[in-house]
Amino acid sequence: MSARRLAPLIALVLAWPAVAEATTVRVWHAYRADEEKALAILARRYEAQHPGVTIDLVALPYDAYAYKLESAIPLGNGPDLFIAAHETLGERAKAGLVTPLGDVTADEAAAFLPHTVEPLRYDGQLYGLPLGAKSLALFYRTDLLPRAPETTDELFTVKQKGVTPLAYETASAFYHAAWLHAYGGRLLDENRRPQLGRPESVRALEAVYALQKEKLIPEDATSTLAARLFNDGKAAAVMNGPWFAGEIDPGVPYRVAPLPRVSATGQPLAPLLTIEGVFLAARARAPKEALDFARALASTDGAIVRARTGRQVVATRAAWDDPEVQKGADLLAFRAQLDSVVPMPNGRELSLSWEPIQRALRRTLRGAAPAARALADADAEILARLRPPPPPGRSLPFALVLSAFALAGAVLLVVRAQKTDGGVAPALRRVAREARTARGAYAALAPAWIAMALLVFVPFAVGAGMSLYHHQDGHWTFVGWGNFLDILLCRDGDVWSPLSFWYTLVVTVAWTAINVLFHVAIGVTLALLLRDPYLRARGLYRVLLIIPWAVPSYITALTWRGMFHRQFGAINGILVWLGAEPVSWFAKFSTAFAANVATNVWLGFPFMMVVTLGALSRIPKELEEAAALDGATGWQRLRHVVLPLVLPAMLPAIVLGAVWTFNMFNVIFLVSGGEPDGATEILVSQAYRWAFTRGHQYGYAAAYAVLIFLLLALQSALTRRREEA
Amino acid sequence: MATVVIEKLGKDHPGVRGAVTKVLGEISIEIADGELLVLVGPSGCGKSTLLRCIAGLETPTRGRILIDGKDVSHLEPRDRDIAMVFQSYALYPHLTVRENLAFGLKMRKTAPSEIEKRVGEAAAMLGLEALLERRPAQLSGGQRQRVAMGRAVVRRPKAFLFDEPLSNLDASLRGQMRVELMRLHQRLGATMVYVTHDQVEAMTLADRIAVLEKGRLMQVGAPGELYARPANLFVARFIGTPEMNVIPVEAACRLGLVPVELPASAAQLGVRAEGVTVGRAQSARASAINAAPQATVDVVEQLGWEALVHLLIDDIRVVARVESGAAPRPGDVVRVALAPEALHVFDAAGDRVELEVPRRERA
Repeated sequence: MSARRLAPLIALVLAWPAVAEATTVRVWHAYRADEEKALAILARRYEAQHPGVTIDLVALPYDAYAYKLESAIPLGNGPDLFIAAHETLGERAKAGLVTPLGDVTADEAAAFLPHTVEPLRYDGQLYGLPLGAKSLALFYRTDLLPRAPETTDELFTVKQKGVTPLAYETASAFYHAAWLHAYGGRLLDENRRPQLGRPESVRALEAVYALQKEKLIPEDATSTLAARLFNDGKAAAVMNGPWFAGEIDPGVPYRVAPLPRVSATGQPLAPLLTIEGVFLAARARAPKEALDFARALASTDGAIVRARTGRQVVATRAAWDDPEVQKGADLLAFRAQLDSVVPMPNGRELSLSWEPIQRALRRTLRGAAPAARALADADAEILARLRPPPPPGRSLPFALVLSAFALAGAVLLVVRAQKTDGGVAPALRRVAREARTARGAYAALAPAWIAMALLVFVPFAVGAGMSLYHHQDGHWTFVGWGNFLDILLCRDGDVWSPLSFWYTLVVTVAWTAINVLFHVAIGVTLALLLRDPYLRARGLYRVLLIIPWAVPSYITALTWRGMFHRQFGAINGILVWLGAEPVSWFAKFSTAFAANVATNVWLGFPFMMVVTLGALSRIPKELEEAAALDGATGWQRLRHVVLPLVLPAMLPAIVLGAVWTFNMFNVIFLVSGGEPDGATEILVSQAYRWAFTRGHQYGYAAAYAVLIFLLLALQSALTRRREEA
Repeated sequence: MATVVIEKLGKDHPGVRGAVTKVLGEISIEIADGELLVLVGPSGCGKSTLLRCIAGLETPTRGRILIDGKDVSHLEPRDRDIAMVFQSYALYPHLTVRENLAFGLKMRKTAPSEIEKRVGEAAAMLGLEALLERRPAQLSGGQRQRVAMGRAVVRRPKAFLFDEPLSNLDASLRGQMRVELMRLHQRLGATMVYVTHDQVEAMTLADRIAVLEKGRLMQVGAPGELYARPANLFVARFIGTPEMNVIPVEAACRLGLVPVELPASAAQLGVRAEGVTVGRAQSARASAINAAPQATVDVVEQLGWEALVHLLIDDIRVVARVESGAAPRPGDVVRVALAPEALHVFDAAGDRVELEVPRRERA
């Protein structure tokens, strides 16, 4: 083919990306089901009206959504538009993940319902267009409540029928906010600082505690529990958001209504408002087309589709005049709720506050502390959270030390080369020769090396490097040893606090020791019992006893958590049946720790049992016969012959078990969740919280991880030395 | 030291589909105080099972075991006061030699001073003094064997049991250890029950031998007696190297090999290799044996001090023992005669039939 014929082809191939991209608008979202359908309809409609533009919709899993945005956009791999709730706008704006839309005229703003545009502003700039408004409302069963209750007193009269009047996730700050606002409290004050200790907030929490004691709201309720109670007719009403409709069983008669007024204050329950907006991402490749599509989504037509098909509570005023939309009673109820909502503050200060607020709620609701004190403690904690970062360090000393090490390493290599091969060049030649002969072997090993490098060494190096930095809102500052010093010297808290490294270390060591002890004791005992070759159904027992190990650990952890539930759990059920008092398992350290240990022991003993069985099978029968003839009783045989021969064989297993238990995140996180108040956290779960729930303090968490690694490396080295002794 | 009486001992093993294997039939043996009884027989004959029943490691289905007159059949091994030396020595790998020796005494809570004394004695007796601080993994096979014996000796039990202790050793070591065992027995004067499949060991070590086959007791007696007067064909064949020549009586008569009159019940004729005379047709004794049947020499095994000549008489194979120098060559034709006093007669069931043997006629 001649060059001339190829040229247009080449030009096309080279220009294709530019050509293709100029007309593709990538939109990321976390919609499902109906909402996703509505979005798809609007995308296709837009494409039909704008030939040459393709809308590429990408549905992301909800949990990873924020993280993906954070990581992809700065690299230029992000979308043009993304649909998200407004509360993270502040952090995202600071991190440079979004682009301001430019000014929106007063007319345009008037097209939306009140309160829906402001939350999408930050620092005076508008970053997104409002699509939907989400808030809580009241779902009530029409067979238990004749009409929508207007006051809480009215709602609570239903108790006479023997059902729980109102069910919702009681210990969640998000849900509790409705009560907070009804009592005149706020999550953040005008300066965006938490003010939880205010009298109004205290009164709100005390009121809710009183409700719980009178059994007007359930104890320790999760959303799942609330749904179950509602579906079974054991709860008359549930306070929840529009997503709850999907959890109601068919056949349950219900209606949606705005939340009632609190009889004590006369103010309506005012939940937090979340505005779902469409944002223009930074580094969007097709900003003009993207903005146009965004406008289309927020337009009246777009809103009508979203309201009809997606069942969203849309922010566009005119859409509510549509006759089809008017027919949706649920939607109208949510719309009515919008008259008494409080927009959620959209900055970093709130995301740091969730955990302490929840902790205060839980403490108060289980009666461990009076509301005033719990909230005051939470305030103090949040202030600690908003901790100033460690002072930036100088990277020069570190660079020097690193170079010194590298230099020393190089010198050592050269010296060795001199010794074994008489020089660097001959050494390199020898290595090349060996590599050539062993080509096949290296090729076979290469995939494993590459995998190890990518999955183990590189992340490890990156993590270790990260520990020398401080991260805030997407900016990294070098702080040298700052993070380590903060952790080890407990610079932002005191040593006795459950949040401190040392406290957590003690808990972790105790956790590991106790668990391994039980694992080995139970595993060895069972192995000795199963050893008898004439035991009937021996095979069956072995299979049954392996099952705990075979079931994925998080399923086990969740199951056990359910069993330890104070009100509805199986364990308390058995205790009550035996005549004992039900135990509030997660209210005290000792019982929460015991619950964790019970779960982990159940998970871990089969491993030790199997290893012991293997070790036992290697002991010749004659050894025990000789011991029997020598005069040893069964117990003496066990102590002097069997165990001394089995335990050394089990040492590797015990070391492994110790390391796994030390890092057993699943059980701690899912069973006790660190309750009470973070007292049962172990090092690895504490690190997780620092990284992901306390304002993305990645550097701090990385330092934690490095410390955990050093501890375990030390333990392994010590065990190896003892083994060789 | 004590007597051991095995009274009508039997053991059944449940087999497939309800069939029952008699691992041990009805066995009765009385072992005198200080006697070394060897249980010998081919593999699967039940000798190890019998030994383990005496030890208490297996439970017999029938019968009793009495040690020093006391019925121990229902006692645990640890209460029977016997010591056992295993084929694989069964030394405790995690203990030193000293600790191995002391183990039994420690289990019975013996005083430390007494333990010291006895361990020292046993070590001296078996030449283990230099090895006391070593672990079994650092010992040779022979050393381990001695430690195993030492462990038994230290306990001063009523009886010693040996389960093929020399089988794992090489030939020369086996010879040495055999002698050491005999010395030990002489020194201790202990009652010992010894199991082996090697009839040479049995012949050299035993005060008495008990031959077992398929769970049945074939014969019990002193080695000489078993050699000279085997009670049945099995014992006759099992004891003695090379194996006794067994010829069906009618074939022997037909070939003219029988120099004496045989009883009517005779079915098999046995003669050991040394009872077969081989002569050249042209030798000085030609007249005496010219009437004897002819045989072809098949193979000659030269042992240095003697030769084993394998002969073929028609279709009958016979092995003869001759002096090295007088051995014929393969292919030679020779005359064969059987010495009358060396004959053993067995009936159709394989049992010995007594023979009136006339004094050997001198020519």
